[in-house]
Amino acid sequence: MKRLLLSLALVLGTTVLFGADTDDQTKAHSEVLDLAGAFQNDGFKLRDGTWYAKASQGHAQTLEVNLYSGNAYWFSVAAAEGSPGLTVSVFDDHGNPVEVQTYQKDNKAAAGFSPDASGLYYVEVSSSAQAATTFCLIYSYK
Amino acid sequence: MAPPWKWLLPSIIAILAVEPLGAQQTGGGSSPTPAASPLSEAELKAAVTIDSLTVPTPGEFFKAIDKTGKPNWVSQFRPPTPIGGVNRAQMALNLGTLIADGYIAVEAQDGQQVKNIGRDVLALAKKLSVSDSVLARGKSITQFAEDGSWDQLNEELEATQNEVKKALEENRDTDLITLVSIGGWIRGTQVVTGLLVESYNPETAKLLRQPALVGYLRGKLDQLPNRIRQDKLVVKMNADLKNIATLVSFPADHVPTADEVKTLNQASAKLTKEISAGE
Repeated sequence: MKRLLLSLALVLGTTVLFGADTDDQTKAHSEVLDLAGAFQNDGFKLRDGTWYAKASQGHAQTLEVNLYSGNAYWFSVAAAEGSPGLTVSVFDDHGNPVEVQTYQKDNKAAAGFSPDASGLYYVEVSSSAQAATTFCLIYSYK
Repeated sequence: MAPPWKWLLPSIIAILAVEPLGAQQTGGGSSPTPAASPLSEAELKAAVTIDSLTVPTPGEFFKAIDKTGKPNWVSQFRPPTPIGGVNRAQMALNLGTLIADGYIAVEAQDGQQVKNIGRDVLALAKKLSVSDSVLARGKSITQFAEDGSWDQLNEELEATQNEVKKALEENRDTDLITLVSIGGWIRGTQVVTGLLVESYNPETAKLLRQPALVGYLRGKLDQLPNRIRQDKLVVKMNADLKNIATLVSFPADHVPTADEVKTLNQASAKLTKEISAGE
């Protein structure tokens, strides 16, 4: 029971379903929208959902997504300003890394790819920072 | 087939144009990044799911279809569906199918159909007591439909769906969120398989592979409180989804045959009908 409560607290603590709850989340959201704007200019449509969580060195966070072959995707992530070191990686349904095009600058990072097969993929956000960094992830497709 | 990177290169150029000098691409230039280490079993199990990102929208599904040919979207319209509803579970499922109808109308670029569906979405949302927050969205949908702003409509439909889910969450109706997603996915699957039954195309058929998604949706159904899980329609749907799960769970290198697509179409059409009738 104790373990269950701990897991529940961990999930609630790291994942927010809708909207930003803290200043860091609001800032991260604003920063990531800046980055995703570049993809929108290139015809990518932005999904309306957001994922807020915290990552630190050795404590990456992973999200499940279901994608379609034929579409191209960009997963964009940002932290509040002054929090560099985020990286985005993508893995197939067996957890094997897939080749992605990456972008990284300051507090922002992105990974883009076109899946060969439809189905489940994992998007991992890792951080090189010692302290836990709040990030916001969004994705766009075309 | 064009190499996948071809579509991503303009985006890289777009970022570099938007971001100040000094922006850096890892991996050097436009070449792909070296692969990371595989995820462990524990890491795979620890992965989180978020309804608004883990479940693809019908629009995302349809965008992939568009690349495989010129689908006859109009052929997938259905007659107006009754928005009465026997209970909240059925109404939530029906709302999901209606939102998917909105995406179909957008793909068909039929402004009147978009407006009609938008009106039904709003009426059903009202019955679920979430109309206030989606009212503004309804107005935007009408405006975009009149202007023929199809790209904005796609985004507005997803925003409407998320607005509905957010309102359900605020009304402590979180259990119904899953049902909205399921309704949308079932109707989307019916439409895509319907297009394939009309005109079979192996590239499109490959898009039907979504084993984890159905597993995720069924897992969410299992977590529903007893009163909803034992609802007659939800019980029926759970059983039918089990059957559908086997139809969309095929290896990555398998291409579903025309007969397999037909079977999936019949299963999803049956479910859509049951949802709108509240049987």
